[in-house]
Amino acid sequence: MSEKRKGKHTTKRGRFVQTVVEVEGRTETRVVELPAFEPPPWTAATPLTIVGTSPLRVDAAEKVTGRARYTADIVRPGMLHAVIVRAPLAKGTVTAMDLDAARAMPGVRAVMGTGDAPAATRLFRRDISYAGQPLAAVCAESLDAAECAARVLATSLRVDAAPHAVIVDDAIAPDAPLVRKDGNTTAPDVVERGDVARGLAAAEVTITREYRTPVALHSALEPHGAVCEWNGEHLTVWESTQGIFRVRSDVAKALTVPQAKVRVLKDYMGGGFGAKNGAGAHTYTAALFARQLGAPVRCINDRRAEQTDSGNRPATVQKVTIAARRDGTLTALVLDALIPLGISGWEGGPAQIFHELYACPNVRTTEICVYINASGMQAFRGPGYVEGAFALEGAMNALARALQIDPVALRLKNLATRDERANREFSGNRLDECYTEGMRRFGWTSTVHRPPPTVTRVKHGIGVAAQTWPTGGGPPSYADVRINSDGSVDVLAGTQDLGTGARTILAQIAAEALGARLDTVRAVIGDTERLPYTGNSWGSMTTPSVGPAVRMAAEEAKARLLEAAAQMLDAPVESLSTNDSQVLLDSVVALSFSDLCRKLGNVHIVGHGSRGPNPELAIVTVGAQFAEVEVDPETGVVRVLRVVAVHDAGRIINPALAESQLHGGIIQGIGYALFEERHIDRARGVTLNANLHDYKIPTMADVPAIDASFLDGADPAANHIGARGIAEPPIIPTAPAIAAAVADAIGVEVCEIPLTPWRVLTALAQ
Amino acid sequence: MRFTVNGSPRDVDPARSPTLLAALRDQLGITGPKLSCDHGECGACTVRLDGELVYACLSLTAACEGTQVQTVEGLANGNALHPLQESFITHDAAQCGFCTPGQLLAAATLLEQKPHPTDDEIRAAMSGNLCRCGTYPKIIAAIRAVADGAGGAP
Ligand code: FES
Ligand code: FES
Repeated sequence: MSEKRKGKHTTKRGRFVQTVVEVEGRTETRVVELPAFEPPPWTAATPLTIVGTSPLRVDAAEKVTGRARYTADIVRPGMLHAVIVRAPLAKGTVTAMDLDAARAMPGVRAVMGTGDAPAATRLFRRDISYAGQPLAAVCAESLDAAECAARVLATSLRVDAAPHAVIVDDAIAPDAPLVRKDGNTTAPDVVERGDVARGLAAAEVTITREYRTPVALHSALEPHGAVCEWNGEHLTVWESTQGIFRVRSDVAKALTVPQAKVRVLKDYMGGGFGAKNGAGAHTYTAALFARQLGAPVRCINDRRAEQTDSGNRPATVQKVTIAARRDGTLTALVLDALIPLGISGWEGGPAQIFHELYACPNVRTTEICVYINASGMQAFRGPGYVEGAFALEGAMNALARALQIDPVALRLKNLATRDERANREFSGNRLDECYTEGMRRFGWTSTVHRPPPTVTRVKHGIGVAAQTWPTGGGPPSYADVRINSDGSVDVLAGTQDLGTGARTILAQIAAEALGARLDTVRAVIGDTERLPYTGNSWGSMTTPSVGPAVRMAAEEAKARLLEAAAQMLDAPVESLSTNDSQVLLDSVVALSFSDLCRKLGNVHIVGHGSRGPNPELAIVTVGAQFAEVEVDPETGVVRVLRVVAVHDAGRIINPALAESQLHGGIIQGIGYALFEERHIDRARGVTLNANLHDYKIPTMADVPAIDASFLDGADPAANHIGARGIAEPPIIPTAPAIAAAVADAIGVEVCEIPLTPWRVLTALAQ
Repeated sequence: MRFTVNGSPRDVDPARSPTLLAALRDQLGITGPKLSCDHGECGACTVRLDGELVYACLSLTAACEGTQVQTVEGLANGNALHPLQESFITHDAAQCGFCTPGQLLAAATLLEQKPHPTDDEIRAAMSGNLCRCGTYPKIIAAIRAVADGAGGAP
């Protein structure tokens, strides 16, 4: 607790309070600063003219002309190139490596091997625990020279191989090799509410299924990469990242330099999807070589490294039991899940959605994480919920079939009306309307009442699934709004735009709050040195976290501007308002921002904003998706014909950009349902499809008609801009909706994705 | 070795940059074409070579002597954007934008060869250019609008 000085010119700082923040589905309690004031919320009835409209993406022209600079486009004078040499097998010990041979190669400036990097970077260790692990690195005058030397180094590598386990069954076998010193599994994480035994006993129908989901790779088109440059003791890092401040703290810690001497910059980035949330081997490698050689160094993953060692969505094995009365009322939900995380990772498991999506008095989930000799997981769009939804929604659809109840009716019957997991009310949750609006748009006719399909070769089917995802965002997030002497406006926030449109929507929020014309407002983001702190762009958090801070900063700047205008116009400040970059006196235009600011000269009008704590409410984005597919029973090929998605995310700041996000989530969901699966060779322990040809992501030819929309409205109970997050929710229900449609088409459930022709044919043969 | 890039004669040393992509990016500082897979799998490096679409990561610099190369930087006419660039902007057909230079060149080539493609023809012709952000529906709409003579109008 800290009391701030209150002088005549109050600095408007608040006290510190505890609040609960949810990040990627996990809950954390944090101490945060309480803003001195928070503006009244923008409700659904508040007339807004810029927020809620779809001005064009502010940086679109840069992107279509090739002017947008991504990390790999950064060139510094005298820049060198680093390449990492990676482990060729899954477990063993490095016994020899000829660093001198690499050093002798043309153009090579430095080589690092075992023991040459600070321990905190975890780089270049002797013990190998997964294929693709960094073992050494080369720095040279050109990328080609670095790659040649890296090949020489790789050839000279001698390794004592040891037995490994790269799939879950091998890691939990009784005689499994030890993947980590402390064992191959975590203690079971059991979460239970109610009395599952009684719930099961009370059931009239019980369904049990085992679902399997694959390891999915983020596959951002721009690989991870960094350019590092030292100027004396100051380090500048250009990094393709979702979290500039996190990269700064990672680098500062690993290299033991103060954060004040590390500057992280990120302008444009080619996608992240959860895999780019901190510094990585490429960052440390570039920073270490740059320090050693006194020259800027670029280190960018090649595609193989990107698909091997930059994170993944872990696989799951989920045994689900779902119990209900004959009228469809759920009496129990049980999940037993195994999650092979890789060599490391955090609990991003499938359980949580089992506690949240439906009203059910008795729920028990058990998660056991398994370590395997493969690269560690990273958050991937909707981590845990995507995997969990495939199983939970699959089981709900199986239950609907068993009970001969329409799957939407079954869901409406078991709709969660409050957050039963955390025992709290929702700030807003209109999932019921998402179903009804989705049914209308899709033309949903119940699958169970349809006449049996005629005997044609290609079979059609339809399916539905739903989603929930915590999207409250939260503190800390800060922003400044600065009005320049010509009336133009800078929004300063240390956030990042992954392609989501953050630059655009933050400018919209500031323009709305300030009463400024949007084309006079520019959002400046992506610089730890010059901009106020915001958190990572993960967990669908940027809009609900940074948005309110920006609005508050703009409101404060507006208040100051009007105080100055009141002096200039000799009018009471209460009689003044703003619109369209003009000051209005009793609703009549009195002065333009530019005239006012010109007269003020270099008097600086600045507003500061911070994100306040969250209310004691569950803040979630929900939605329902409907899919129609066509299955060829002779080839097993599944084609998605259309997807209808309706989500409730509170206020939508920019409907066109939000729709783009829905498209992106749904299309990644189609990939997850039909194509995407990392294959590791069980015997050798290496990834067999570490490229974009054999690891298939959807192409334009795979994409169906998509009708994606949001419910109109706002959620003023969530935060004062009324908006929740939207980036992750749309990927969650797509795969189970497609799987349900396939089951509807062929009359057999396929409980393992991706639904490859082989899996479909195998299911049909049974 | 000399070739023409976006209308200007340029000299590069093929020995320093075996691939056209590396020559453009590293020797000429033309960074519109992106390096993403380096194996002809994604289309991020797409450029036009004498009017034909190629993956610059698979094209040998030495084989480009005397050719005309066009990158996204050469699509606009001075300050006047190409209709497809306008249309990509108005249809929000770029999220992260990393695939966009390649998508634009593929789209421009399609419309030159087939000014009024069907949606299925667009899908087929554009399927060599991956987009992980999933902008495909909006890219189709953007191409459709230009093909239908609606220019950049959404
Ligand atoms: S970088 Fe050339 S096709 Fe991917
Ligand atoms: S817009 Fe991001 S890859 Fe296409």
